[in-house]
Amino acid sequence: MGNKVIEMKGINKSFPGVKALDDVYFDLNAGEVHALVGENGAGKSTLMKILTGIYSMDSGSIMINNNKVNIDTVRDAQKLGIVMIHQELNLMNHLTVAENIFIGREKKRMRIFLDSREQNEKSSEIFAKLNLDINPNIRVGDLTVAKQQMVEIAKALSYDSKILIMDEPTASLTDSEIEDLFRVVKTLRDEGRSIIYISHRLEELKIISDRITVMRDGRYINTVNTQEADIDDVIRMMVGREIFAVKQEPFTKENAPVALKVENLNAGRMVQNVSFYVRQGEILGFAGLVGAGRTEVARAIFAGENYESGDVYIYGKKVKIKNPSDAVKAGIAYLSEDRRRFGLALGMNVDENISMANMKEFSTLSFINFTKSLKNSQKQKEALDIKTPSLKQKVKFLSGGNQQKLVLAKWLSRDSNIIIFDEPTRGIDVGAKSEIYKLLNDLAEQGKAIIVISSELPEIIRICNRVLVMCEGRITGELMGEEIDQNKIMQYAIKRNISNGRLTS
Amino acid sequence: MKKRLLVFALVISVMALAIGCQPASKDTQDDKPYIAMIALGYGHQFWQAVRQGAEEAAKDYNVRITFEGPEEETMVDKQVDMLKTALANNPAAVALAAIDVESVTGILKDAKAKGIRIVGFDSGTGEEAEAHCSTDNLQAAALAAENAARILNGKGKIGIVGHSQTVIDAVQRVDGFVEKIEKEYPDIEIVDIQYGDGDHLKSAEVTKGMLQAHPDIDLIYTSNEGACVGAYNGLKEAGKIKEVLLVGFDSSAAMKEGVRSGEIVGAITQDPVGMGYKTVEAAVKLLNGEKVDSFIDTGCYWYDASNMDEDHIKPLLYD
Amino acid sequence: MIKGSISPKMNNKMNKSLRRDISHIAIILGIFVLMILFFFILKPNYLSYDNIMTILLATCVNGLLALGVSFVIFTGGIDISVGCVMTFSSVMSGIALTKWGFSLPLTIVFGFLVGAFCGAVNGFGVTKMFLPPFIATMAMQMITKGLSLVVSGIKPVYFTSAPGYQNIATGNFLGIQGFYNAIIILIVIAVIAYIIFSKTLIGRFALAIGSNEEATRLSGVKVDNWKIAIYSLCGLFAGFGGLIMSSRLNSAQPQLGAGYELEAIAAAVIGGNSLNGGEGSIVGTIIGALIISSLTNGLRIMSVSTELQSAIVGVVLALAVYFDKMRRKNA
Repeated sequence: MGNKVIEMKGINKSFPGVKALDDVYFDLNAGEVHALVGENGAGKSTLMKILTGIYSMDSGSIMINNNKVNIDTVRDAQKLGIVMIHQELNLMNHLTVAENIFIGREKKRMRIFLDSREQNEKSSEIFAKLNLDINPNIRVGDLTVAKQQMVEIAKALSYDSKILIMDEPTASLTDSEIEDLFRVVKTLRDEGRSIIYISHRLEELKIISDRITVMRDGRYINTVNTQEADIDDVIRMMVGREIFAVKQEPFTKENAPVALKVENLNAGRMVQNVSFYVRQGEILGFAGLVGAGRTEVARAIFAGENYESGDVYIYGKKVKIKNPSDAVKAGIAYLSEDRRRFGLALGMNVDENISMANMKEFSTLSFINFTKSLKNSQKQKEALDIKTPSLKQKVKFLSGGNQQKLVLAKWLSRDSNIIIFDEPTRGIDVGAKSEIYKLLNDLAEQGKAIIVISSELPEIIRICNRVLVMCEGRITGELMGEEIDQNKIMQYAIKRNISNGRLTS
Repeated sequence: MKKRLLVFALVISVMALAIGCQPASKDTQDDKPYIAMIALGYGHQFWQAVRQGAEEAAKDYNVRITFEGPEEETMVDKQVDMLKTALANNPAAVALAAIDVESVTGILKDAKAKGIRIVGFDSGTGEEAEAHCSTDNLQAAALAAENAARILNGKGKIGIVGHSQTVIDAVQRVDGFVEKIEKEYPDIEIVDIQYGDGDHLKSAEVTKGMLQAHPDIDLIYTSNEGACVGAYNGLKEAGKIKEVLLVGFDSSAAMKEGVRSGEIVGAITQDPVGMGYKTVEAAVKLLNGEKVDSFIDTGCYWYDASNMDEDHIKPLLYD
Repeated sequence: MIKGSISPKMNNKMNKSLRRDISHIAIILGIFVLMILFFFILKPNYLSYDNIMTILLATCVNGLLALGVSFVIFTGGIDISVGCVMTFSSVMSGIALTKWGFSLPLTIVFGFLVGAFCGAVNGFGVTKMFLPPFIATMAMQMITKGLSLVVSGIKPVYFTSAPGYQNIATGNFLGIQGFYNAIIILIVIAVIAYIIFSKTLIGRFALAIGSNEEATRLSGVKVDNWKIAIYSLCGLFAGFGGLIMSSRLNSAQPQLGAGYELEAIAAAVIGGNSLNGGEGSIVGTIIGALIISSLTNGLRIMSVSTELQSAIVGVVLALAVYFDKMRRKNA
């Protein structure tokens, strides 16, 4: 140790309207596993994308083995021996393991004929070194995710990469697979390679990492030696106590009727035994890390996706929801996190989008009543202050904030009583954000029951009366009033189901 | 899932039942010599008439035949597949009307080497055939030209609506007509030749376009049933029926009606029933070791309102 | 917020989008007019009354098929069964008339229902059996092609027992010489199609599904049912086509039909309808169908050989779509 292979200093990077990285520092020693942690949006992936040549930095310097380098393209990074293994693996499912490993650099005989035997042998050598049993001749699509990851690692080794970046490698692995992965990571480290390990699972870091660097809000916070570190301290550094957040008032109308009650909902791996309720006029938050199963809960309720068991009650009445149409009839609205994909018909105009969920109201015998529909759209446009030159404007020309308001207008036209917002302010600039927050408050005051799914803790704290925290498909905690703070939410958000013994390895 | 499987199983068994209930003629008469006939097409009535004649002959000579053909008269590859499949069933003889002679020559050579007898009919099979039964299309077209010239009194303008530029007999039906006119009737001018794929609707549009381009056309000659009925409808729609005369080729219920009323002045009929019959007959003779002529003309006739009910014509006109 | 300051920019935007819609029709209309002028100059009787009627009549069958298939294209789907469904519906109505003794009006309605039913099966395959539209309708194409031959016994079915059947398409409208009924039928049905497209939920949801199917579904719209309705509508239009076709020929020709679907799709595409769905217009489709029929007619009048005609139509198809893409890029 002690020999620095990477040193990144004073890295700055801005995107339009956002300062993504602000004077960030990061270093990596030879033969160490260095964990990089931080909340969603802390800047980890931006930093790694700069290191691997996907983004270029605005200012700063990168030293590799004490030489200053420029990394402008992915190719540059590869030449320097830096390879990133992404969370979504970049493999061709229909090709064999060996073909994937050597893609773009196929071994050839007499310059034209592919030499699959040599490729297979070379692949086998790499796997043998890692003490792995993978047949190089098998199709990658037939392997488990864990093995696919190993193929990615083997591919990196075939480039003789000295520096591996692993982004959330354990996100979709089982316990024994994680053990295998850790064994391989340790082998690589002992060979003198360096690994940057990005993870949300802080408890893993104790097992696998040598040092931990914490980032927050695009800034470098601190680096600690894992041996001496306390996980609670790391969490504190990640969320940053000092950030001041406006807090929502606690919910006072305790005897308001329960608008939506869900009991023992099970829907696939990501929704396990979920029970909760939300009262009329209340704003309930769903917090947790990305992939905790919050969106899945919403979609199971709204669209019956992966539904296995459990009951849903609307104002005390049990309802069966098999598709969105049932949910809409029951008075539930869902504003997806990805409104361009799931919320809007971008090629259609403002009026057509606003009236989409309520065409029965705006038509007689299937003939559209344009006057009625336009009148409603005009009303919604004014009420929500949607900025558009005309109701005939195509939606794709509107800004993110206005698009979000438009989706809301669609559901308000329908007079839905229960509104689920999935990441309501994603992709929306700061000014428009506070407008959306105000809208949420107004809606609650009008007696709507509101559920907000958000990965931004300040947002949750600012707008929710009550917060449920999820981790790996389960509700791990409920916070009310004074209890709601970032540390507590974070603790619940990483509170994994200990009983399966992952931590004992 | 179970429900879906059940439905699937049900559909499959219904289909199996339907296929199973087809008359099982193929399997019950295994001792008879088997002759496989593969035509140029299948859907057209002409081929069905050939089939009828072939089946009559099969009955008379106590042989078993199968009759098939691709649904479009352009599907060379499909026809080749049919031929290969037929050969796999070990026929005693194969009768073929090839879409493209070149593409079957090799297969036929192999078959011949195995002792399978080859008979060509209609468009024929090229040199491999030991006998060829067909209408001489050049002759038939010349017959049409003679009659057209007679009706026009040797003077006038003619347009031609053809049905294919690739199938050899279709080409001959146009070439034979043109040759005859050019050679023997200097005062008749052929002003336009267009093709309508034998599609009734397309041929109607082609005809109307031709009339628009050459308003002074006196007579239209068409090279098959689709072209003729198409042109017939085209003339009707243009209100030029009887003003522009129409000469056709082949027959159908619609054409017969037109000829009877004089709205089609006349047409050439081949003898498809005879062609089918003679083809099977030739094959049987070959199998029995008898000698057969290498070309068997199955004949053609001019028919119009005056002779269409005569005994030698009537059976050749099909619906 | 600061309404005054943004409005000029936005007005500009609106004009742009408005201009986009107008120029879309304008471009194909321009192509159409130029083409007509071209033929007119070379062959003045191209624009004779008779020939105009001939062109319009020639547009009927393809136009009806293209109208139907346009609705499916709006959803981002495709229907390649229309040609054979058209034939099947005409064969079935022929059988109903001659074998089952249906009255003429009942026969006609029956033919439409057969078409709509085939369309509904297409829709069922696409929605409930999750078949890609191309596959579902290709299966239907093969099924109807085979069934047409089976039920007709591979013979044309004649409508001679119903005098006046031929007049449905080729009779003169209101006794105007040369003005075929079929043209009026096409115009009426095109207007109906336009109304369905722009004034009813079918048109609205067809575009919405084509634009973003998942968002439409998540808005509580029963996407599957609407899709079945749209495919049925396409089948119904094929049934209309079958009526005109069989009436012109006074017979149902069981072996015809294949190939008509491609011409119908070509008309819709020349009319500026994107095969990705989500946008398009009925007016465009009709102009597209007119372009094809007036082009082929013009080429025939000029005695251009048949093989060259096909090549030229192909070039026009490619150019029309190219211009449309350019327009989109520049807008």
